Amino acid sequence: MAKESTTIDVGEPSTVTKSTSHVVVDEKKKKKSFVAAAAGGGYKRGLAIFDFLLRLAAIGITIAASSVMFTAEETLPFFTQFLQFQAGYDDFPTFQFFVIAIAIVAGYLVLSLPFSIVTIVRPLAVAPRLILLISDTVVLTLTTAAAAAAASIVYLAHNGNANTNWLPICQQFGDFCQTTSTAVVAASISVVFFILLIVISAISLKRH
Amino acid sequence: MKSGQAEIVETSKGIQKSGLMSRRIAILEFILRIVAFFNTISSAILMATTNETLPFFTQFIRFRAEYNDLPALSFFVVANAVVSGYLILSLALAFVHIVTSKTQNSRIVLIVLDVAMLGLLTAGASSAAAIVYLAHNGNNKTNWFAICQQFNSFCERISGSLIGSFIAVVLLILLILLSAIALSRRH
Repeated sequence: MAKESTTIDVGEPSTVTKSTSHVVVDEKKKKKSFVAAAAGGGYKRGLAIFDFLLRLAAIGITIAASSVMFTAEETLPFFTQFLQFQAGYDDFPTFQFFVIAIAIVAGYLVLSLPFSIVTIVRPLAVAPRLILLISDTVVLTLTTAAAAAAASIVYLAHNGNANTNWLPICQQFGDFCQTTSTAVVAASISVVFFILLIVISAISLKRH
Repeated sequence: MKSGQAEIVETSKGIQKSGLMSRRIAILEFILRIVAFFNTISSAILMATTNETLPFFTQFIRFRAEYNDLPALSFFVVANAVVSGYLILSLALAFVHIVTSKTQNSRIVLIVLDVAMLGLLTAGASSAAAIVYLAHNGNNKTNWFAICQQFNSFCERISGSLIGSFIAVVLLILLILLSAIALSRRH
């Protein structure tokens, strides 16, 4: 009791200063944690903005790839014995798969824009990031499959195959070959974009 | 004081439980990597040992078919070999993830590499699938003849070796998913 009273008596100014310093320390701690949260949120928010911009660019490229392949056709002015004089994207089932798959990917990207905006607004939230990463991985697989299959057919059209007697049709249909090659290149660029999106999501998932 | 101690014990138990969950995820990743390795290596070997010689000679088509007559199939073999080599090397990193608890940065590295390998494997598998589809059905508009009508067992083998590769693609997607979940957990 006496001890308490002495501490109270002697330490009243000191407890007052203690409490104020305690409050100051608390405030400093709060400020630090707030700054840390903002800093952690800061770089994650920057990554989320970059993610959103990448998605916009990928939408543009996938729509371009799909429409370029869809409108690829060529009609030759003359008639030859062995080859038909018209070539379109629907002569090749692989190109049909390419058009449909890249269109689906473009639709997915448009639907994933709201999730990206949520990650900008709430940079520390884990669930939207995780959903984006998983669905981006699946769509990356689809895009790579479409682009690679179309690329192998385009390679065959350019070079042919001597062992199986498959003639390179690009020697007759030059324009058609160029258009389809452009579409395949655009789809490959979108694959690179998807890899970047997945890396951004992975880095943003890191908890401190 | 006692309630505070009980709280501390409870939260440490919670940490232990979630540490156990992380360990289970890491063990599952290790097992999936081994299975994916076996799938890719068997696909590569099956495709690389495919050849067929026909007993007769026809005017238009060669009487011998090998996997490297078609460049997409050799790209398939190379891609599967590279991915199987990567999977074996990443087994060491996956084992480290089982043992240690502070794995965030190495998990990010593993996710990036897994995504790159997923892209390579999918490219190889789907370009080979396009060529196999062409070999089965041919193309009337371009006069590309369906070689499967002559080379039956060759076609069967190249079609079968695609399956292991596609299973490995699904397994790689699962691996990336598991790494992402493990990365986003608190411990």
